[in-house]
Amino acid sequence: MLEVDAITAGYERHKPVVRGVSLTVRPGESVGLLGPSGCGKSTLARVAALLHRPDAGRVVVDGTAAAGWRHRAPRAQRTAFGVVFQQPRLSADPRLTLSALIAEPLRANGRADEVPEKVRESAARVGLGDELLGRRPHEVSDGQLQRACVARALILEPRWLVCDEMTAMLDASTTAALVRVVEDYRADTGAGLLAVGHDKALLTRWCDRTVHWSELEA
Amino acid sequence: MAEVAEKAVKAEMSEQPAVAWRVRGVRRRSTRTWRLRTSAAITLAVVVAVLLVPPLVQLDEQAVDLASKLQPPSLAHPFGTDDVGRDLLLRCVYGLRVSLLVGVVAAVVATVIGTAVGAAAAAAGGRVDRFVMRLVDLFSSVPHLLLGIFIVAMFRPGVWPVVVSVALTHWLSTARIVRAEVLSLRSRPYVDAAISGGASRWRVTVRHLLPGVLPQAGLAAVLMVPHAIWHESALSFLGLGLPTHQASLGTLVQSARGSLLAGDWWPTLFPGLFIIVPTLAIAGLAGAWRERLNPRRRSELML
Amino acid sequence: MTDAATRPADAATTAPVLDVRGLSVRFRMRGERYVRAVTDAHFTLEAGQRLALVGESGCGKSVLASALLGLLPENAETAGSALLGDGTDLLAADERTLARTVRGRKVGLVPQSPAAHLTPVRTIRSQLEETVRELLRTPRAAVRKAAEEAAGRASFPADHLDRYPHELSGGLAQRAATALALIGDAPLLLADEPTTGLDRDLVEHTVDELARHTGSSRALLMITHDLAAAERIADRIAVMYAGRIVEICDAEDFFGARGPRHPYARGLLNALPEREFAAIPGMPPELGALPEGCAFAARCGRASEACRVQPPFADLLACHHPVSDRPAADPADPAEALEAEHA
Repeated sequence: MLEVDAITAGYERHKPVVRGVSLTVRPGESVGLLGPSGCGKSTLARVAALLHRPDAGRVVVDGTAAAGWRHRAPRAQRTAFGVVFQQPRLSADPRLTLSALIAEPLRANGRADEVPEKVRESAARVGLGDELLGRRPHEVSDGQLQRACVARALILEPRWLVCDEMTAMLDASTTAALVRVVEDYRADTGAGLLAVGHDKALLTRWCDRTVHWSELEA
Repeated sequence: MAEVAEKAVKAEMSEQPAVAWRVRGVRRRSTRTWRLRTSAAITLAVVVAVLLVPPLVQLDEQAVDLASKLQPPSLAHPFGTDDVGRDLLLRCVYGLRVSLLVGVVAAVVATVIGTAVGAAAAAAGGRVDRFVMRLVDLFSSVPHLLLGIFIVAMFRPGVWPVVVSVALTHWLSTARIVRAEVLSLRSRPYVDAAISGGASRWRVTVRHLLPGVLPQAGLAAVLMVPHAIWHESALSFLGLGLPTHQASLGTLVQSARGSLLAGDWWPTLFPGLFIIVPTLAIAGLAGAWRERLNPRRRSELML
Repeated sequence: MTDAATRPADAATTAPVLDVRGLSVRFRMRGERYVRAVTDAHFTLEAGQRLALVGESGCGKSVLASALLGLLPENAETAGSALLGDGTDLLAADERTLARTVRGRKVGLVPQSPAAHLTPVRTIRSQLEETVRELLRTPRAAVRKAAEEAAGRASFPADHLDRYPHELSGGLAQRAATALALIGDAPLLLADEPTTGLDRDLVEHTVDELARHTGSSRALLMITHDLAAAERIADRIAVMYAGRIVEICDAEDFFGARGPRHPYARGLLNALPEREFAAIPGMPPELGALPEGCAFAARCGRASEACRVQPPFADLLACHHPVSDRPAADPADPAEALEAEHA
């Protein structure tokens, strides 16, 4: 169970962009969060993934309340989430090759010995070939880079996925392919999903249920 | 049917003629490479001269030959001689050696200090960041030549006090650049992704943030070399740097002031040129580096 | 259906707004390698027409837009021609001509991210006034009024004119950028991904306004990966794959019952969540290492031996085995298949 409870969050003092929002995702469930751009839904997604400290409210992950945010969150709690962002260019360290990019979470957790096998497995899941894995972000297209970012998000086998406008920059075919990847992963592992976006047609097709931002704000 | 076939033929034909490619922007590129090559050649010549000439030509810096004092440039002495009859070309090369040594060492030390302080301040954030940066502001508010003079004055004249003085007064700007760069990188989604992947604070700093600022810090270091050379020259010119008998570009210019008033221009001009030309060459290299860093040029392919 | 490759002889009297013939762009890379970003593109745009150029990221569509604006990087080489209505060749013109007489005056650019396109430190009014002065040579006294009119044309509210770009919402920033693009009254509007990152309501609003501005006197070329936006605005769709335009089709047919004829275009359409939501298998080839023959063959269910040869772009289609409603008599013979469809 992922519970986001009465969250108020923002980037400047006394100017919250999210006010008292609550949302619950059950294990294995996929929830689409719809809203216009700039409404604060991305901020909520970052709070839910323990990447942004809210001004008020709490996040409960599988029964345990989040003890902190960003580096202050216990590693086990942080890595329970796989996150994918809107812009693959900004989500990839420009100096790492795609295979290093995908392997990064394993290395950060001291599991470097599993790298070759897991990277191969994860890259195959998103359809990236060996030749592409040796390249750096500026040598591949947005779609290919976003595939690598999805592979990175899945490599630690998180119980929760947070996809923030994952496909906004992508064409229809790559969108369908990446949604397929996420859904296959969820079918295998029973992971829950919070997908944030503005494309109603996409989210209704993708998710078990969708909620509109306006319904959430107190 | 015939119409369709005709269209197909026409389409074929439009593809067939050898495609005439129009090339763009050749001229600008060649001036750029020309500038880069000249800068690189001069810098290389300077480095080679500084490394090879002293071992090949053993120069006694104290030796004087009053019989041939203040000779204008000639074949035997291409740069002429100074007021005690020493060959100016050799003294310039020796002087450049000292200046370059001071410049490079001081720039490297300053860059290391600046990068460490800037990155630490930005990575720690909050109160630590504010405290460190106010300290940097405090240091910057003192004119750094004055600060440099103060540091040099605490030691006996020599090369190393000058290096320390220049290094300790030049890391401030690098610290600011590095801090700003780290702060901007820290808000990138890829840092979020790393944190979500379980990376520690240390790992994020060392693996994702520092490598991102190193090109900028390196550029700052290269730009600092000429600056440090000028600083050394200024200190020596004021008589606070190296002892007068030891050739440095600053001491050369300083000791030539007397003869300049008497109309002997060469003891001032050539050391002066030795300060200016390598400075421009290094700045040219730094310019090329900066262009490489420019993201617009880095992505040659915009798809 | 209008035909781009062969126009009637009397076309000289009513030259199209933009006539692109054999436009190719390649990038010179290290070691005499070339990346062929655009290969042999042909299309025409008449006044009142709205053409959407769609394709995956990295298919070369943005490069095509940059080529039309003369904004290619230095290592780019171009071939072919892109003639404006008055005979200016956008590919052959030098930078000076482009800057003084083309950009803004003959080609108006509606940018991808309006917020980044506007100067952050100046108000919308001062940017509009500057553009009015530059493009129209309006006398000083009339500049203020002309700028307000320009804002009005793009429905930019007059009471927001003295704001800075960061004080505007995404929609208003888009209108401000559109107002700037419209000032020179250019006959050709070029919109490069004008809806990326906007939400659906704003996308619809933006493309509706673009359609309104195009009217019957201008022509619009919109480059996008968003098929829904293309459907809303365009009367023709050009599909680009691996640097080539593989099909140009009336929008009604493309999104309607008939559907596109090229298998790639079909796959792209079927990937929409409103339709089958099924991805085309595989990934597009590298533009630096294009295969011989049809670039889509490796991903195509209809590929055969014939696809080893590049299909010519004829009758607005480049495919040996186009999809048609009725089964083709002999897929190896494109002419017959076409004839079957024409019948």
